Amino acid sequence: MSVKVGQKAPDFEANAYIDGGFKKVKLSDYKDKWVVICFYPGDFTFV
Amino acid sequence: MASVAARYNELQDLGVEVLSCSVDSQFTHKIWQEVELSKMVDGGVPFPMMADTGGKIGSLYGVYDEEGGVNIRGRFLIDPDGVIQAMEVLTPPVGRNFAELVRQVQAFQHVRKTGEPTPAGWQPGKKTLKPGPELVGKVWETWKIGD
Repeated sequence: MSVKVGQKAPDFEANAYIDGGFKKVKLSDYKDKWVVICFYPGDFTFV
Repeated sequence: MASVAARYNELQDLGVEVLSCSVDSQFTHKIWQEVELSKMVDGGVPFPMMADTGGKIGSLYGVYDEEGGVNIRGRFLIDPDGVIQAMEVLTPPVGRNFAELVRQVQAFQHVRKTGEPTPAGWQPGKKTLKPGPELVGKVWETWKIGD
C-alpha cells in the first residue's frame, strides 16, 4: 500500500502528545489547512 | 524533530500545521520531550507527536519498515483539499533539510494562488512560467538556470 502525489492523503486517527497532555488527532480535523506529516524512526534517535 | 520544532514559527507564518509520527507511544513522546527535546528547543516540540502503534499510519503512507518495526523518514505535504502535493522519503541515517520544506510550501502555495508553475529552485519573488503554446521550445528565452 502506498500513496502518490496528486492523490488524497489517507485519513488516520492517532493518540498524540501535545502541550503536556494527550489527545486524539485525526487528519480530517485539519481540513482546509496545509499540513506536513513527518515520519521518523524513533524517539531518542539522533538525526 | 528538534530542527522542525526550532523553526516551527516559519511554518505557522505560512499557515502550515505539523504532525510528527513514530511508532513510539504518546507516553514515550512525553518523556522524550521532557528529558531531551525541551533542552534542545525552547519550549520543546510545539506540535502533536503522534503514536503510530504497529506502524498503521506509516503503512498507509508506504513508509513503515516491517523488518525494523519503525517508520522511515518520510515527509508529506498536504494541501487544504487533503491532496498530497509533495513527499520525500529518506533512509534513516540522513536527516531532512528544513529550508527545502519551507521553499516547497511557498512554491505550492504560490501555484495554488496564481496557477503559475514555478521552475527549478524557485524562491518567492523569482520568475515563474506561463505555460502555453507560445512557450514551447522558448523556455530558454524567458528563464535561465539560476533565475
